[in-house]
Amino acid sequence: MRHSQKWTASLSTAALVLIPTAIGINYLGKLFAGLLKLPLWLDSIGTILASMLAGPFIGAISGILNNVMFGITVDPISFVYAITSGVIGLVVGIMAYQGWLANVRRALIIGLVVGVTAALVSTPLNIIFWGGQTGNIWGDALFAYGLSIGLPLWFASFLDSIIVDVPDKVATVLISYFIFTGLPNQLKGLYARHNDIQEL
Amino acid sequence: MHKLSLFVDQSSLIYKIDPISKMMYAMIAFLTPYILPHITAAIAITALSFSLLLIGRVFRHIVPILGVSLLLILSIVIVQGLFYPDNATPLFQVMGLTFYQEGSEHALLLTLRVLNMLAACGVLILTTPPDVIINSLMRLGMSPRVGYVLLSVLNIIPHMRATMARITEAQKARGVELEGNLKTRLKSFFFLMGPVILSSLNQTRERALALELRGFNAHAPRTFASASGAYPLYKISRVCVVILLLLVVSWRLYL
Amino acid sequence: MSIIQVENLKYQYPSAEHLALNNLTFTINQGEFIGIAGANKAGKTSLCMALCGLIPHFFKGAYGGNVLVNDKPVRDTPLNNLTDLTGLVLDHPFTQLSGAKNTVFGEIAFGLENKGVPRKLMLERIEEVLHLLHISELRNKHPFTLSGGEMQRVAIASALALKPDILLLDEPTSQLDAARTTEVFRMLANLADQGTTLIIAEYNIEKMALHCHRILLLNTGSAIDFNTPRWVFSRPDLNEHGIVPPLITRLAKSLHIKRDDGLYPVETREFNALGGFVDA
Ligand SMILES: Nc1ncnc2c1ncn2[C@@H]1O[C@H](COP(=O)(O)OP(=O)(O)OP(=O)(O)O)[C@@H](O)[C@H]1O
Ligand SMILES: [Mg+2]
Repeated sequence: MRHSQKWTASLSTAALVLIPTAIGINYLGKLFAGLLKLPLWLDSIGTILASMLAGPFIGAISGILNNVMFGITVDPISFVYAITSGVIGLVVGIMAYQGWLANVRRALIIGLVVGVTAALVSTPLNIIFWGGQTGNIWGDALFAYGLSIGLPLWFASFLDSIIVDVPDKVATVLISYFIFTGLPNQLKGLYARHNDIQEL
Repeated sequence: MHKLSLFVDQSSLIYKIDPISKMMYAMIAFLTPYILPHITAAIAITALSFSLLLIGRVFRHIVPILGVSLLLILSIVIVQGLFYPDNATPLFQVMGLTFYQEGSEHALLLTLRVLNMLAACGVLILTTPPDVIINSLMRLGMSPRVGYVLLSVLNIIPHMRATMARITEAQKARGVELEGNLKTRLKSFFFLMGPVILSSLNQTRERALALELRGFNAHAPRTFASASGAYPLYKISRVCVVILLLLVVSWRLYL
Repeated sequence: MSIIQVENLKYQYPSAEHLALNNLTFTINQGEFIGIAGANKAGKTSLCMALCGLIPHFFKGAYGGNVLVNDKPVRDTPLNNLTDLTGLVLDHPFTQLSGAKNTVFGEIAFGLENKGVPRKLMLERIEEVLHLLHISELRNKHPFTLSGGEMQRVAIASALALKPDILLLDEPTSQLDAARTTEVFRMLANLADQGTTLIIAEYNIEKMALHCHRILLLNTGSAIDFNTPRWVFSRPDLNEHGIVPPLITRLAKSLHIKRDDGLYPVETREFNALGGFVDA
């Protein structure tokens, strides 16, 4: 019962309309990070906010569709990482449900978990599609070094992902957390799961 | 308003193929070098994808897309050539670094896969506007709610880009700095993003209200205001796509 | 014949501290053109939402009393079944756009497509409302590139295309110039003559006085009055409710020009007939 209620709540019109907005915010984050020459991508703020507001399901869809749409309109490589984006939304949404948004320190943990999970999911993709690289200079240099000292391919590739993903995801989750705590309750309540009509 | 799309507005043979056939081609072509892990297959399908781009007269528009992945390809060639775990046979030396045959062959296969993936997608996305792709999928039975989300993204991103330009101007006038040390710039990031996020989330709520009253959740089978596009090559292109699929599968079985 | 019955309606938003709608009781007949007047936060928007079912189906919170639309209790009828009866145009024009369409034509089609209206009928209806709101020349424009006023007219057209029995409009002319506002009010009055029930929340008292059959005066969620424009705008205490009566009524009040029933006129023609003189 509680479960099914959660499910329908997460598919409400309000939650569905949140998805394109989340994707737009992702895009904007990326643009501003570029404009301000920040050494991070910050391109998943929208996905993470959607997960915090409307739960793992909406978060995951936002992540997946973000990459699908980016793939058909800007850069097809982005299709490959649709799964990673989806998992990011899923992890943040589940952790948010379980109370990990209580304070900054806990939010930092979400960031670390998201970073490591993203790296874990991306590693097999990187190995299948590009033999283990990520296309990021620093990460790939580490990957090459790892291979040259005889580390197994998967491990070297995981290191490559993790040094790229963890700092970015920790920063992204923290930024999203600060924005989320500043949102008015009226907005947060819109996607709340158990609110019934009270009698007057 | 600047459109979010890689579509090249012109006309050629490929434009006469329906979006679903092109999408099926992109998928089959994308998967082929993984189903058939033989370099000949990768070369054949990559050549086919690029020929289609040539026939479609969009070849030069794939170049910038390839350019984005240049770094990735370079990294593949260098790292695999030097450090591929199965490396045994030295091929040549550059500046004291030994490139190996095994790694270079592997890099060639990987590079072909990347090029093929980009070209196969290019066949679809350079010759089909994104909203046409989404509408075709909706006609095929994709949920209109999903269709709504995808179509909205096409509109919201150019809108966000316009908003960004406006905000940057306004905040600059208020003294938000776009340069300086990391801390200053991070702070500016909040000042720039915060207001847009808040206003776009508020708009989300009101838009949801409006949609509810415009039958967004109606159960009636959906109808379409636009006529479905005319694609003279519809039948023949489907047949070709199916033949390609059969070819790939039978090659695989034969192996 | 009554189409809307409201009995002891009370409503409070989820995180709010006091009632947004406080014990409202009234009836609206089919084909009536009703104006809702009141100061900021009087509850005009909330009432519109309660009449179309967004309260309590979208906004949960605390609810009491009853709203019957076509004898269906709003509270127990799924929102989906209510939307065939009622249309709604909200005040912020940008968010009235679906966001998924890249032409005005497509935007108006959006609701019709959702409701599965056959294509031929759909095209007829779209042409009809494009014409009604004088926006035919905008048909191929991207909705996001329109001005606020143009968006408002597109929003009204989109709602009208669905042919609702009841149309609720929340400040639908806030971004229109005087000429366009006149045009829209005339068109709405026409619709009411043809049997559509119209309910409009507005700050444009002049136009409401001219066209509405009855005015519902709200103050902090309570109904102060629900009567003809003459009656409501003749009240001596309008100031307390944040309402400035129409110019003609103010003029009549200061010149003591009254009708036999003791009410002040709200339109020029009547004002002149009673012995005043204002150039129409
Ligand atoms: N989403 C909401 N959540 C909580 N309270 C709300 C919400 N919307 C409105 N209210 C409150 O309900 C009351 C009635 O507001 P409403 O918007 O209905 O008034 P209004 O007459 O339309 O005002 P305006 O002229 O400013 O549009 C106000 O006290 C307002 O603060
Ligand atoms: Mg209002």
